[in-house]
Amino acid sequence: MQQINRKQTAFDILKILLMTVVLGAILILICGANPWEAAQLFFRGMFGTFSSFAEIFVKACPLILTSLGCAIAFKTGFFNIGAEGQFYVGALGTTVVALYLPGVSGIAKIVLALSIGFICGGLWALIAAVLKAKFNISEIIVTIMLNYIAINFLGYAVRSFLMDPAGNVPQSEKIASDARLAIFIPSTRFHVGILIAVCCVALVWFLMEKTTVGYELTAVGTNKRAAGCNGISVFKNIVLSAFLSGGFAALAGGIEVLAIQKKLLEGISSNCGYTAVLVALIAGNRPFGVLAVSVLYAAMQVGANSMQRQMGIPSSIVNILIGVVVVLILGKELITLSRHPKQTQ
Amino acid sequence: MAILETKNICKAFAGVYANENISLSVEKGSIHALLGENGAGKTTFVNILYGIYTADSGEMRWKGQPVFFRSPMDAIDAGIGMVQQHFSLVSRMTVLDNIILNLKGNRFVLDRVAAEKRVLKLAEKYGLHVDTRARVTDLSVGERQRVEILKALYRDVELLILDEPTGVLTPQETAKFFDVLRNLKNEGHAIIIITHRMSEIMAVSDRVTILRDGRNVANLTTAVTNPDELSRYMIGRELAESGDVVTPTGRGVMLKMDHISLARRNREHPLHDITLQVHNGEILGIAGVEGNGQKELAEVITGIRKNNAGEMTLEGSDIGNLSVKKRYEAGIAYISDDRHNDSLIVSMNVAENLTLRDFRCAPYSRCRVINRVAIARNAEQKMTVYQIRTSGKTGAATPVGLMSGGNQQKLIIARELSDKAKLIVASQPTRGLDIGATEFVRNMLIKQRNEGKSVILISADLEEIMALSDRIVVMFGGAIAGILPRGDATVQQIGLLMGGIMEKERA
Repeated sequence: MQQINRKQTAFDILKILLMTVVLGAILILICGANPWEAAQLFFRGMFGTFSSFAEIFVKACPLILTSLGCAIAFKTGFFNIGAEGQFYVGALGTTVVALYLPGVSGIAKIVLALSIGFICGGLWALIAAVLKAKFNISEIIVTIMLNYIAINFLGYAVRSFLMDPAGNVPQSEKIASDARLAIFIPSTRFHVGILIAVCCVALVWFLMEKTTVGYELTAVGTNKRAAGCNGISVFKNIVLSAFLSGGFAALAGGIEVLAIQKKLLEGISSNCGYTAVLVALIAGNRPFGVLAVSVLYAAMQVGANSMQRQMGIPSSIVNILIGVVVVLILGKELITLSRHPKQTQ
Repeated sequence: MAILETKNICKAFAGVYANENISLSVEKGSIHALLGENGAGKTTFVNILYGIYTADSGEMRWKGQPVFFRSPMDAIDAGIGMVQQHFSLVSRMTVLDNIILNLKGNRFVLDRVAAEKRVLKLAEKYGLHVDTRARVTDLSVGERQRVEILKALYRDVELLILDEPTGVLTPQETAKFFDVLRNLKNEGHAIIIITHRMSEIMAVSDRVTILRDGRNVANLTTAVTNPDELSRYMIGRELAESGDVVTPTGRGVMLKMDHISLARRNREHPLHDITLQVHNGEILGIAGVEGNGQKELAEVITGIRKNNAGEMTLEGSDIGNLSVKKRYEAGIAYISDDRHNDSLIVSMNVAENLTLRDFRCAPYSRCRVINRVAIARNAEQKMTVYQIRTSGKTGAATPVGLMSGGNQQKLIIARELSDKAKLIVASQPTRGLDIGATEFVRNMLIKQRNEGKSVILISADLEEIMALSDRIVVMFGGAIAGILPRGDATVQQIGLLMGGIMEKERA
């Protein structure tokens, strides 16, 4: 029985893959390009040089952390759509500490900056969690609204109190080099933050799978009522999951500032907070699934960028295809559900 | 003249008769009451009359002609209307729009002016006052009911079926509601009313049909019967006493509830001033028609809801402020009547559900790290002792959702009846179980009692209450209607208390 199911699943995934490839080819043909040639460029973009290969992980890093945050929240039944806003709040918090905290330097400053960013993002998500747990207000709407506030507040900050006095551009001062995250592999952009992200994946996996904390979170996520009736606090767990969720999204923002941009400016998230929702969904909220899907997504992005550079094929094709994959996966689940109606006693 | 007649109506669900040979006749211009315990088949029967279900066999005559309704639309066309227990109104629409919703005569452009005129005329005639332009969300329960009745009258029904119409009304609203029914009757309408309150039957009905276990056991004329007779018919049997009652002497008090009240919120049944004691080594049965506060009582004791007033102690120490978790640790176990929503996480497996209460303690976890081996070992042991069977070979890894109801219940009992438990709150513990599993559950409860623990047994099944309890509390309308020692309690007495007739009223 289970084997049949597994075969069926593998077959379904193959079908989805095939449909995506065909659709991609059609879109490229419409652009007037040769799909075969485009595919070659696509893969050369990913694996062509060592530094372009490393670039995949640079792109994947913020996605891994934001998606990890979403996965924790979804697992607890807290539909956090606010990773984007939490990313910005984290970037802001980290920047402020990295720029203005006197007296510490080096690793201590980096750790402090990232931790405070984490806490800021966590508290930001907490607003929605408390509203949901106490008053049953939809966290989806609240987190989306909080995104607008966070994104625009950052725009306001880099034009006012955080603006670099030396320039006229809406961005902060450069962060001193001792507070930046170091490059790990020389002559690429592969930075230490990527290692932090991978460690976070392992940590969250351990937390969710091996500890009572994860067990409580999962229990609340699957049946709130039963969890409450058996003495598991629903409030406490929703708050905890929101805090962790927002924290990881914020950590992504902090790392992006300290490793890549070295300053705060608008648009630094590249919308990864929204993409994260899809990644977590595709990964089934599993931490290592999140890691794999994020890297895959980033790889496609890198490949598509090279296509765009060399052949003028719009890289938005990748986003179209990702959207199609998500719809197909969700649709597949619905079809499976209707094929096997819920068992009744 | 009989407007509606049924002969030998039968309806079975999955081979079990819900209705068996029900025959009755309803006169024009009369109020006909249907009386019976939970699960006696009242609602099934009226659903057949209204075309929601179709009968397996039997005959139905409407004004002398044989009829067969495939859907409620057929019944409405014939002139039968029904107000269901749970109202079917669109809460965001106005009263008027609800009344003319899905009407056959509606044109593409609605004529609301004419419709409103007619509704107001009907309302005037029968005393069903309601603001036709108000949204249903803003109406009280009593007003919603009036809208439902108007909706039926607007469709020119001649027979109106009311399923437990007074359950949601206050005594004052009920009195007004009965005036409306009498008006309708005087205008020549026939009415079928389902109720379990004896006083209401005596007050308003002309004839009574009593259902028990899906059969109609009596058709009586209200004027020549009395509550005692009705209660005897409803419950039917002299319940067998099991002989081995040990009445322990000099036992301590386990749970003491002092003037416990729960305020009304979202139309839930509240609790009024509950004062009772549960002793060591006692099974305290709680009888009552479902929805009279039993579930709320269980949830107040287990800490799922917090009482607004009153005090509660367990073995002398105050537990009023303790969380669910702390109360479980203090010894309060809970077997809920809603296995799927309250007690189990059905997508998790047997082993995980068995440790849903204890996963924080050694050996199941140390320093918050879960020990899967210990959890699996616990599951194996409990599955053997409590004979929990899973389909297939997955054993303790089987998701609970794939198990039968009996095995799910055994799982809950295996988890809750730990060494820690001192007071077991068991709500409908044998509902939906087969005979073997029922026997198992009852024996487990008796065993707990004999070990000196306390059991609060909430059940809608009077036979079960009578067979197991040392004392019986009857609840009605969120309050205690009476407390009877088992030896003294007769079925009639309990039946009357369940129907809301207090001792003093009868004298």
